[in-house]
Amino acid sequence: MTHLSMEALLGLREPGREPGDAAAREHVESCPACRAEMDRLDQRVARLRALPALRSTRDRWPLLAARVRDERRQRRLRTGGLAGLAAAASIALALGLGSARPIAAAGQQEIRQAMARSQALERALTQYDPEARVLDGRTAGIAQELEDRIARVDRELEMAELLGRETRDDRLLKLWRERVGLLDALVDVHVTRASNVGL
Amino acid sequence: MESYLLANAESVVARARAGDPAALEELYRAFEVPVYNLSRRICRTAEDAEDVLQETFFEVCRSIGRYREEGSLWGWVRTIAASKALMRLRRNKYRDTDELQEEIVGHRREDAALRMDLEAALERLSETSRAVVWLHDVEGYTHEEIAGMMGKTPSFSKSQLARAHARLRRWLGEEVAP
Repeated sequence: MTHLSMEALLGLREPGREPGDAAAREHVESCPACRAEMDRLDQRVARLRALPALRSTRDRWPLLAARVRDERRQRRLRTGGLAGLAAAASIALALGLGSARPIAAAGQQEIRQAMARSQALERALTQYDPEARVLDGRTAGIAQELEDRIARVDRELEMAELLGRETRDDRLLKLWRERVGLLDALVDVHVTRASNVGL
Repeated sequence: MESYLLANAESVVARARAGDPAALEELYRAFEVPVYNLSRRICRTAEDAEDVLQETFFEVCRSIGRYREEGSLWGWVRTIAASKALMRLRRNKYRDTDELQEEIVGHRREDAALRMDLEAALERLSETSRAVVWLHDVEGYTHEEIAGMMGKTPSFSKSQLARAHARLRRWLGEEVAP
């Protein structure tokens, strides 16, 4: 008599039925050896689940908490560091550095305006000090998402500085505008929400 | 573990999202044992499991804003832990050498008809097989989910589980004479 393979027995324990399951199940019902094998399998899984939990011998929280604090500090510095990036970009714009084709005066003006607006929003956020305030879960989730997107734009701004002359200025303008939009939303999330609930 | 956190989960998560260090520590304290247990069952060494524990909670602290509350909090944390543990296995490239060694050592020991307890037998499986057994049989992941986490096919997961159970049966002395 051919008995069921381990894979076939395990298949019978899965919630979704597979082709051939009915025949295999019928076999288990009529074959004492396979029935016993199935019982042992069930018992083995039950014993696995009942194994005692293994515990770490060291408390890792102090180290982890320090790392989390450090990461937050770095993130704040990254955001603050954008002021420096903006300043560098301003100088480059003012000197017309690296631009094969002259940027239209209106384009330069737009980039400067976007940078100035971005810096103003940064200052507003810093004054508001969102890290020191408590937000509800949903609002904090939105704020986190916006911060992540701003960080991505920041990385792209750094990359854009390395682009070829032909495409760099258009890209910078687009990214600075995007950054302003995101910062605007972030200020809105913090300030509006705070005024709504009177924090 | 969960019974404590379930009662407070919403407020703890909200405070953690707002960056409250006390709430982050509450999350850590609530889940450190199951996360370490899962990591230790998958990883070869206690040091690796401790690294996975730390990486998991670092990710939890960074990403808590993205937790959507659609599934259980433990389910979300557990998936991060499982992914980190499996990444650790891939990084350390244990699998190939261990399976070969398991074949050689395994047959020699079978000849000696050693009978082990379940802990020892589980420990003796290759990292990949043990990970599949633990994730499927204990944590309740499906073969499709395990395949997704491991970057393999569901068939791979199924065959790993079957081989692992065949070995456990032998090592535990549960084989019956034909």
